[in-house]
Amino acid sequence: MRHIMAKQQQTLLERRYSMLGLFLIAPTVLVFCAVIVYPLISAVYLSLFKIFTPTLEGSWVGLDNYRVLLSKGEFWTSLRANLIWTVGTLSLQIIFGVGMALVLHQNIWFRSLARSLILFPYFISTVVAVLVWKWLFNDLYGILNHLMITAGLIDWPIDYLGSMPNAMISVILVGAWKYFPFVVIAVLARLQSIPDQLYEAAKIDGAGPIARFFDITLPQLREVLVVIIMLRAIWDFKEFDLIFLLTGGGPVTSTQTLPLLVYKEAFALNQMGMASAYAVIMMLIMLGFMLVYIRRTRSEES
Amino acid sequence: MADVVLSNVNKVFGTFTAVDGLNLDIRQGEFVSLLGPSGCGKTTTLRMLAGLEFPSGGEIRIGDRMVNDLAPGQRDIAMVFQSYALYPHMSVGQNIAYPLKKRGVAKAERTAMVAKTAEMLQLTPLLNRKPRELSGGQQQRVALGRALVRDPKVFLLDEPLSNLDAKLRGYMRAELIELHQRLGRTMVYVTHDQLEAMTMSDRIAVMESGKLQQFAPPQVVYREPANRFVASFIGTPGMNIVDGELLQENGRWIFQSQGFSVDAPNLGPDAQSGAAAMGIRPEGLSIGTGPIEGVVQLVEQTGHENIVVARVGDGLRMTGRTNPDQPVRAGETIKLSIDANKAHFFAEGATGKRLNKAAATSDGPAKSQSALKEATS
Ligand SMILES: Nc1ncnc2c1ncn2[C@@H]1O[C@H](COP(=O)(O)OP(=O)(O)O)[C@@H](O)[C@H]1O
Ligand SMILES: [Mg+2]
Repeated sequence: MRHIMAKQQQTLLERRYSMLGLFLIAPTVLVFCAVIVYPLISAVYLSLFKIFTPTLEGSWVGLDNYRVLLSKGEFWTSLRANLIWTVGTLSLQIIFGVGMALVLHQNIWFRSLARSLILFPYFISTVVAVLVWKWLFNDLYGILNHLMITAGLIDWPIDYLGSMPNAMISVILVGAWKYFPFVVIAVLARLQSIPDQLYEAAKIDGAGPIARFFDITLPQLREVLVVIIMLRAIWDFKEFDLIFLLTGGGPVTSTQTLPLLVYKEAFALNQMGMASAYAVIMMLIMLGFMLVYIRRTRSEES
Repeated sequence: MADVVLSNVNKVFGTFTAVDGLNLDIRQGEFVSLLGPSGCGKTTTLRMLAGLEFPSGGEIRIGDRMVNDLAPGQRDIAMVFQSYALYPHMSVGQNIAYPLKKRGVAKAERTAMVAKTAEMLQLTPLLNRKPRELSGGQQQRVALGRALVRDPKVFLLDEPLSNLDAKLRGYMRAELIELHQRLGRTMVYVTHDQLEAMTMSDRIAVMESGKLQQFAPPQVVYREPANRFVASFIGTPGMNIVDGELLQENGRWIFQSQGFSVDAPNLGPDAQSGAAAMGIRPEGLSIGTGPIEGVVQLVEQTGHENIVVARVGDGLRMTGRTNPDQPVRAGETIKLSIDANKAHFFAEGATGKRLNKAAATSDGPAKSQSALKEATS
């Protein structure tokens, strides 16, 4: 009898705890719904209409927007540009970021100064950074062309942003320059937490500097690199301002990534429904990437 | 034949001297412990032997080679770290195989050698596990396995048992002794635990403040400590050390302290009148009758004996051992006597030299079981 009573009391207490849990989590869930779930659902909803942006008046077209979009060449060229940009800039960010982190991890006397300087590109606003780069890249009076001509490397100024593949390369390089500090900081933090004794044990086991990098440093960095690549891939895939300000998607549409295409549909062509359809497709692509990526890293773990 | 030789080795960090003029001459196949309190330079010495730290002065030889300028991987040594330092992303088997892999041993041979080592250390069922899935004792074994697998000339071990619980430590101690006997390799073992050093070593190098205090077999370190520091560091409960004065009376030496005096029958030629210290181990102190009076402060019962701490004169504490049947209680006044033949006399100062006549004990590496028992009980 007492036994049963005790059991009941316990479940009551447990129930009270779970009520408290719900109560505490409710504000977060509400805010999440307001700022994430509602826009998401309305984007999907809008993509089923043909909408004129200035008046926001529209008519139901069902899946027509998607049908048009997938058969249009512009979507596929934009997707291609988007992938080239993401893979290109992300690879450079990782290579330069890890390399710089390894350099800064060494005991060099200006390390603390270098560490704060390295953050500079990440901190300045994109508009300012792009303006500076546009001046550097300018084909008529840019310092880059001037220096290269003076050094005798080229005879004629190069059009960095107005021709292909120069424009894509320039965008990728500026993107790498702007965002590699993020990689540096994250990798450096991890490097500092690798125990020295692992390296000492490896030295005694006969591993040289290169073997120590591949057998200890890299495996130790693996987890942080997984997170960095995931975050940066998402951010780079939907990068808008840097590309828009640097080339505006040009020449013609050769650097027009999907976010720029969404913008063009919504505000230049006034097709809000179509723009929403693009946005939804973009989201699905990223979701697909993330699922594959998470699945792969998880299977490697076990 | 000398296997590892340190000649006049110094190590200076900035202005701090961690190791000061160290001379050690370790024989082939010998088990040598570096023993001393924390911070005395044991690890630094071992790391210099390994090549992880470079001496500021002096010479290190391993076998017939001067190794001062050799990288750790070229010295033919293996090291077991206090924290084990297992590679976390590799399995047990890969950890053990790593030193072979880096030395270009072929895969098939590697697998066979790893299997043999794992067998010896009872790691065979764990070969595919990751280090984080192992208990402390198992990780310890893997660290040993990684050192054993390639049969190096010298093993260096830095407090390898200090992270284990007491029971496992006792067990691993026995395992290590057996392993040493089986392999016959030179081992240099760092510890701050005198019990480990006493039970395992052929010879003990006692260090303090970066300086070597004594380098001798365990029973010599126990019975004839070179100086006051060694005397106080070795043995549990520790030696009773009393400050006082040596006097010569009618051709006999007498040691006089507050409230009592004892004969000093076996002083050597270095003895001088004046300030000195006397040391007597708890077993040299008899409780019951005698000229010295003390008040019992504490009785520790260990089961097979009682350890009695008494206050003598004003503030002097003396520790003795009694049979548990002998009724001694805290607060009681008791009589004590000192067995003058078991007393040690030291010159003034924390590392004052021992003044007794040298006894005719051999300096060989053989372990005396009775000395071990005295030290460990
Ligand atoms: N890399 C270093 N830099 C400065 N001081 C050090 C360094 N390594 C050790 N020391 C100092 O040297 C002394 C001896 O250290 P160590 O050999 O680790 O002592 P232990 O006998 O406890 O193993 C300690 O006082 C320690 O602070
Ligand atoms: Mg140490």
